[in-house]
Amino acid sequence: MSAERPAPILQVQNLTTSFRTDDGILTAIEDVSIDVHPGETLGIVGESGCGKSVTSKSVMRLLPPATSILSPESKIMFDGLNLAHCSEKDMRSVRGARIAMIFQEPMTSLNPVFTVGWQLNEALSYHTDLSKSGRRKRSIEMLRLVEMPNPEERLDEYPHQLSGGMRQRVMIAMALCCEPEILIADEPTTALDVTIQAQILKLMEDLKNKLNTAIILITHDLGVVAQVADHVCVMYAGRVIEKGTVREIFHTPQHPYTRALLESIPKSGRREHGKRLPTIEGVVPALNDLPPGCRFAARCSIAEEQCIHTEPDLKDHAFSDRPVRCHIPINQTAEVAGSKGQA
Amino acid sequence: MWNYIVRRLLYNIPVYLGIILILMALLRFGAADPAYTFLGKNADPGDLEKIRHQLGLDKPFFVQYVQFLWEVLTLNFEQESWGRPGRTVGEMLSTAYIPTLLITVPGLMITATISICVGLISAFNRGRLADRTLMVLAVVGMSVSFLVYIIVGQYYGAFQLKEWVGTEIFAIEGFDLEENGFIAGWLTYCALPVIISVIVAMGYDTRFYRAVMVEESSKDYMVTAKAKGAGRRKVMFVHMLKNAMIPIITRVMTTLPFLIVGSVLLEYYFNIPGMGNRLLGAIFDKDFPVIQAFTAIFAVVFILSNILTDVLYALVDPRVRLQ
Amino acid sequence: MTPKFLRSRGAKKFFKSRLATFSLFVIGIYTAIGIAVLFFDAITVDDTLQRVGPDSTPMIGEQKIEKRLRDADFHLARLESALNKKEEDVENAIANLALAERGISDKPREELKSEVARGWELYDELATQKDDAEFDAFDGKKKELKEQGIDDNEQVQKLAGNAADEAVEALVTSEDFVGSLEELEGIVAALYRPLTGWDATMYNLRRSIGTDRQGRSISIRALFSIKIALQIGVVSALISVIFGSLLGAAAAFYGGLIDHLVVWLYSTFSSIPSLIFLIVISYRFTGTQWESSLLPVYVAFCLTFWIGPCRIVRGEVLKIKELEYVQAATAVGFGKFYILLKHVVPNTMHLMFINFSLLFIGAIKSEVILSFLGLGVKNQPSWGIMIRDSGPEVVNGFFPQLGAATVFMFILVISFNVLSDALQDAFDPKHVS
Repeated sequence: MSAERPAPILQVQNLTTSFRTDDGILTAIEDVSIDVHPGETLGIVGESGCGKSVTSKSVMRLLPPATSILSPESKIMFDGLNLAHCSEKDMRSVRGARIAMIFQEPMTSLNPVFTVGWQLNEALSYHTDLSKSGRRKRSIEMLRLVEMPNPEERLDEYPHQLSGGMRQRVMIAMALCCEPEILIADEPTTALDVTIQAQILKLMEDLKNKLNTAIILITHDLGVVAQVADHVCVMYAGRVIEKGTVREIFHTPQHPYTRALLESIPKSGRREHGKRLPTIEGVVPALNDLPPGCRFAARCSIAEEQCIHTEPDLKDHAFSDRPVRCHIPINQTAEVAGSKGQA
Repeated sequence: MWNYIVRRLLYNIPVYLGIILILMALLRFGAADPAYTFLGKNADPGDLEKIRHQLGLDKPFFVQYVQFLWEVLTLNFEQESWGRPGRTVGEMLSTAYIPTLLITVPGLMITATISICVGLISAFNRGRLADRTLMVLAVVGMSVSFLVYIIVGQYYGAFQLKEWVGTEIFAIEGFDLEENGFIAGWLTYCALPVIISVIVAMGYDTRFYRAVMVEESSKDYMVTAKAKGAGRRKVMFVHMLKNAMIPIITRVMTTLPFLIVGSVLLEYYFNIPGMGNRLLGAIFDKDFPVIQAFTAIFAVVFILSNILTDVLYALVDPRVRLQ
Repeated sequence: MTPKFLRSRGAKKFFKSRLATFSLFVIGIYTAIGIAVLFFDAITVDDTLQRVGPDSTPMIGEQKIEKRLRDADFHLARLESALNKKEEDVENAIANLALAERGISDKPREELKSEVARGWELYDELATQKDDAEFDAFDGKKKELKEQGIDDNEQVQKLAGNAADEAVEALVTSEDFVGSLEELEGIVAALYRPLTGWDATMYNLRRSIGTDRQGRSISIRALFSIKIALQIGVVSALISVIFGSLLGAAAAFYGGLIDHLVVWLYSTFSSIPSLIFLIVISYRFTGTQWESSLLPVYVAFCLTFWIGPCRIVRGEVLKIKELEYVQAATAVGFGKFYILLKHVVPNTMHLMFINFSLLFIGAIKSEVILSFLGLGVKNQPSWGIMIRDSGPEVVNGFFPQLGAATVFMFILVISFNVLSDALQDAFDPKHVS
């Protein structure tokens, strides 16, 4: 795309994660490849169960080791290390210090029996050499950075004494206190109400600019993606199906699923009055019952013979230079009239 | 927090009143009259009357209730025991509670410590050989009757041990703390019963503590801790343990009453003159005042441990402590 | 409803575990035995009281040879006293000597008498030989030690005792002695009718674990106790679970005063130590007409055990109450009681099963303790009674009765433990395996 983009700091290649379950070994994500560039926000979008969380947790190796398996071909290249297969010791030096993560439910993600100060202190003690008072100072700094009122008092409070928005700020403070190069945000605003959501998103944006941290934002909410992401990766049923800049995805979606997603956003206005809300018919295929061909074929309005039998590869196509996993991606140049005014 | 504690205290009061009510009703109504049971079928009606009057059984129930309640609250039991005339119930109580405490309190502390450690080892190694072995042992241990442990324990622990070693390490039965000093006496007479009660309780407790710990381990904050770069040990022993201690501590307190129950059997078999043994003796003698008073005291201990549990819970869980 | 249940996901998961299925199988066997005893009198109470042989329990310090002689004495003495009765009573007396299937031989009286006499001859011979060897060696050693100047009484006793033991051992292993002993035991065996086929199997079964001090068959007693255990377990657990669950569900569902009342009730009951409660209730039944039946046990257990299921089901219903399908049902207009019965209770069924198996175990274990204290089962053997009877035996180093009761009980209890674990794994979503 743009030649000025610096080299990616995280390169995920052919990531395949499977789980041992009572029903056998199920593959949750297959052949996922993602690049994260410094200072950029990458949005990973998809409906529940498409594998976005699994992808992020695989990068951080946070999945339960007893039941999860990363395939041998999986590569997660970060500063020369292959995170997919490196030692736990190496992983520990990366987690929190160089790649940090925040989660969806701030109430349950914070330890209820330790104070905010203790939890911030812990993160700092693992990855910095600061003294006790140094860590306290830095904790207060971080809380101020995330726009927390009365940071000194907050340090001695417990998570349950804070509101949802404040807890998420604490999570962000904890994640960023060691100045990581990448922040993975797994549905950070889903559990918050809309007004707080906007604040948190703006906060993350500001911090990204201040600290030049790359962000991987995982969400099912297209509105959030539109607001903060620079690049987008669309996932469906465990696979990446389309990649591009946020403009490209929203203005000229090429995969039928992406387009259907965008179309299903309810619109207001007199023209829409009386129309049914558009939906995508059918359901996501179960992991142990995947079709041989394209995983979206059953629900796709323009599916053809080949779609049902052979799974498409993720590759660039003739009329664009971004990857799409589709045999017959929508050529926007031929459908200008229809796509104008959308997204 | 105080709000919570006061509420719990107030709540337990009607419970205790209820216990005494049920206890007294149980002992008086329904089947045979207590005096009758004690003196036998061919008792002289005069004697019957005398003994009933002595205990106040001829007064209306409500009066008896209040009277007894007062006795319990002031710990002042003045009736004479029927089985051992000349000794008041209060006297018997004051000598009997010490041996019971000497068995139950150490038992509680040792069981709790060992079970928590074993549960932790199991949870830490979840699914691996160590865990599975320990849990199988726990289930096996749970499936054998308490009595078998007592009988076999007494035989091998006291009797056979003496044969092998030559001198008596654990007494087969009895209780005497004067002879060789307190600690030696305790080791001789109380250590074996305590060991037996620990072995019996461990099966149940370890499984429960392990379950608590495993459940805590799957909570979200554990993932966060790991994401921050914490090592496995730190995550387990600091993050998980502090949270798990909340239900564990409350559970430790609630095992106290079961240990008291267990002490009844141990005292009986090892001939230790504690409260359980006395109560049992009273039941066999059909000694009404003792039965009533001792049961009421056991119930007091239960209630107190309930209250203590609630208080501990309030202190340990910051979500309750700071409201 | 049952076939649908068996096809449910939980049931499939349950049966996948081979251990769980096996434990179900074991429980099935026990149930079959229990039903056979209860309804078909496969083993009667009389069977359990019947003398099956000389008692297997050794006396304190008794050596093996002494026991064998004592056994021979047992058989000979019985037959002798029966033969010496008045003419008209002899027939009867001999018939009464039968040890279960093993009846006295049909040989003519005179022959029996002479056999017995010969038996006594051999017995006296062997007994005297043994005593002589023992005392001679003992005294001899003592003299020897005295000559050596060893004075310590304890040591002398010990060394002399050892010498005596050695002498007896030497005697007992000598060819002549062994020959005579075998002859004696052969004569004793010939006093009885030979056993064949089914009779032989049954008799061997009876003797398989040995006998207690009154010569009663331990194996028969243990098997009979299965019926008692199942009776007590099933009745107590069933009533407690049904009553407790329904009460708990109703309390949680209707809320308000009923809830407060039920909570107060179970808090109160659970504050009396269960053993004490059981004991006090049993005590109240003494002197009444029901004393010797199982009723006191049933009442005591049900009054103590209903609390568990009540608490658990109440907790669960409190959660279910808030779920949307209950609200939906209410919105449609179904009556509260109907919702309770049709929607709420079926979703607590898994808890009821789990509680049933847990309470079953509790009932069996509590019965053992109650019977041990003399308050539980009376007039019938049960594992608790067997354990109690085994007390004095264990002092003499005789463990079979204790072992039999423990093992039989252990297998049943551990099967139920495994069963309840598997049930929880399969049906309780929150359960940690």
